[in-house]
Amino acid sequence: MDLFLSEKHSIVRRSVRAFCERELKPIARELDIEARFPWEVVEKMGRLGYFGIQAPEALGGAAMDTTSYCIIIEEISRACAGLGLCVTVHNSVAVYPLYTFGSDEQKEKWVPPLARGEKIGAFCLTEPNIGSDASGVESTAVRDGDHYIVNANKVLITNGGVADTCLMFVKTDRNGGYKGLSVIVVERGTPGFEVGDLENLSGNRANPVSSIRLNDCRVPAGNLLGKEGMGMKIGLVALDTGRIGIGAQALGIAQAAMEEAIKYSKQRYQFGVPISQHEAVQMMIADMATQIDAARLLIYRAAAVKDKGRPFSTEAAMAKLFASETASKVADMAVQIHGGYGYSKSYPVERFYRDARVTRIYEGTSEIHRIVIARGVSEQYK
Amino acid sequence: MKEDIMSLNIILCIKSVVLDAPDGRVVRSPETTGLNPFDRPAIEMALRLREEMGGNITAISMGPESAAFALYEAMSMGVDRAILISDRDLAGSDTLATSRSLAAAIKTLSPFDLAIFGARSSDSDTGQVGPQTAVQLDLPFITGVYDIKAKDSEIILERGIDEFIESFRISLPAALAVHAVAVQPRDVRLSGIEKAFGIESLERINLKDLDIPKETVGDDGSPTKIVSLERVVRKKKCEFISGTVEEQADELVRRLKETGHIG
Repeated sequence: MDLFLSEKHSIVRRSVRAFCERELKPIARELDIEARFPWEVVEKMGRLGYFGIQAPEALGGAAMDTTSYCIIIEEISRACAGLGLCVTVHNSVAVYPLYTFGSDEQKEKWVPPLARGEKIGAFCLTEPNIGSDASGVESTAVRDGDHYIVNANKVLITNGGVADTCLMFVKTDRNGGYKGLSVIVVERGTPGFEVGDLENLSGNRANPVSSIRLNDCRVPAGNLLGKEGMGMKIGLVALDTGRIGIGAQALGIAQAAMEEAIKYSKQRYQFGVPISQHEAVQMMIADMATQIDAARLLIYRAAAVKDKGRPFSTEAAMAKLFASETASKVADMAVQIHGGYGYSKSYPVERFYRDARVTRIYEGTSEIHRIVIARGVSEQYK
Repeated sequence: MKEDIMSLNIILCIKSVVLDAPDGRVVRSPETTGLNPFDRPAIEMALRLREEMGGNITAISMGPESAAFALYEAMSMGVDRAILISDRDLAGSDTLATSRSLAAAIKTLSPFDLAIFGARSSDSDTGQVGPQTAVQLDLPFITGVYDIKAKDSEIILERGIDEFIESFRISLPAALAVHAVAVQPRDVRLSGIEKAFGIESLERINLKDLDIPKETVGDDGSPTKIVSLERVVRKKKCEFISGTVEEQADELVRRLKETGHIG
């Protein structure tokens, strides 16, 4: 596997793993039970550059390549999936579109505090009636002189409970379909900005997922990202990048689940031998390891294609689809290897099982990804 | 002693150690080798000193090409410059031969103020390279350093011994080894990693650059040889002590005294 990585990538993995094993892994269980966002760890991560991984150096980022990015997300998620989710969503679908589509003024205003982790970003697309079909967004922004009056009802927003800088997907042309979709950056504290209760979710519980409502928010017109009508483009570009990150998050969960399963299989004796010597368990370990390696290779490929500046939507979709389905399967097998204990909150695989499930849903469901892949592949064989 | 310490030229001697040997085989790669854990506090102390006093830090390491990885790790933590001393003729060097190479390399970096070492290496555990190098360079040398203080143009080194702190006022240049738990090494910043792998960041030198006879280094220059290396098998024994709680406690204390674990 590491044949594909450079010495730099090895140092990235070693450094991030050392930090996460010391600061995050020991509290991951407590964060899950209490559904608590660990600000104390986030502050340290911010100082180390984890919140501006690929942002340009001039804007306070570390300007790393996408493979490094994936390794970092995998390692954080291996310790705590909820925080891995926070970091990847912040970097890929909040900070990335800001420095990609923002004006110089916008970039200088928003990116540095986000890259330092002093502010947290959120991507606000999902609405009660809108999931995969982004063209149907019902939130609106109406121009009023130098401002927009924004009304929005966004739900299931990752980082919602702590986000300061929110990319709001709104209709600037109510009848324009996807061409009427725009992105307006709305900051917490703007009058009318209201954070709903945290969702009581099954997994990734360290992440404060919540709804965000904007009630007649007056937002400066200068907060429009790109131009009116560019929302769909910004969303798709952000999500392509985001999907590689979610793939890496799923990979981290799968890796952690396999490690726990192997450890347990060597300790647990049945019929006079450790269960790791039972062929049925060996079959599962072989399947886990093979699927994890395949997922990792797909993720590294998508990262490499992106870094070459080539279109990577299909590769990103394949990586996300395969890694998320792998995470579910591997976590399921890890529970099975643990037997009854795997169903208990006393063992971490129970958490991994819950954490893994949603990776097949957010940032594009597995079904949407299959559509993206089928379209991409069909294009190649015209 | 310098009249006025404006900034320090620090040389850090570090080692790439084997951290993992899958299937019992040593294959040196970025995954299996890395910066000696005992060198991390030494790097941290050097970085703090530079932050306080100004100056620069050069890390040097002698070893095969895979040792470059340890130097990159040191640079990721914030070291300014890194030099790898690598030469086929250096292979098989024991601690004395290693110290000859390091001393020769340090001479090429003169003038310098401090040569800093870790307490020992995690793989061979001798703790000899620091003192031997200092002797070759005729430098004052303090081991087990917990703190370095710069005060009124003087450098004060604090060394921990049991319940006491010894303070030494030293003249520069000097050499020292940092205690394993003296300071908590910093976490690596992502921007530090990017910087470490920037252009022209790692320098490589060989035996010719050191200007020392081939016979004094490598296998030929090493007076000590490892005859054999065997894994120590520790047998664990579990025994239950019976009786009332008081009797169990008395018996436990008696046994611990008997085995010399308590006085």
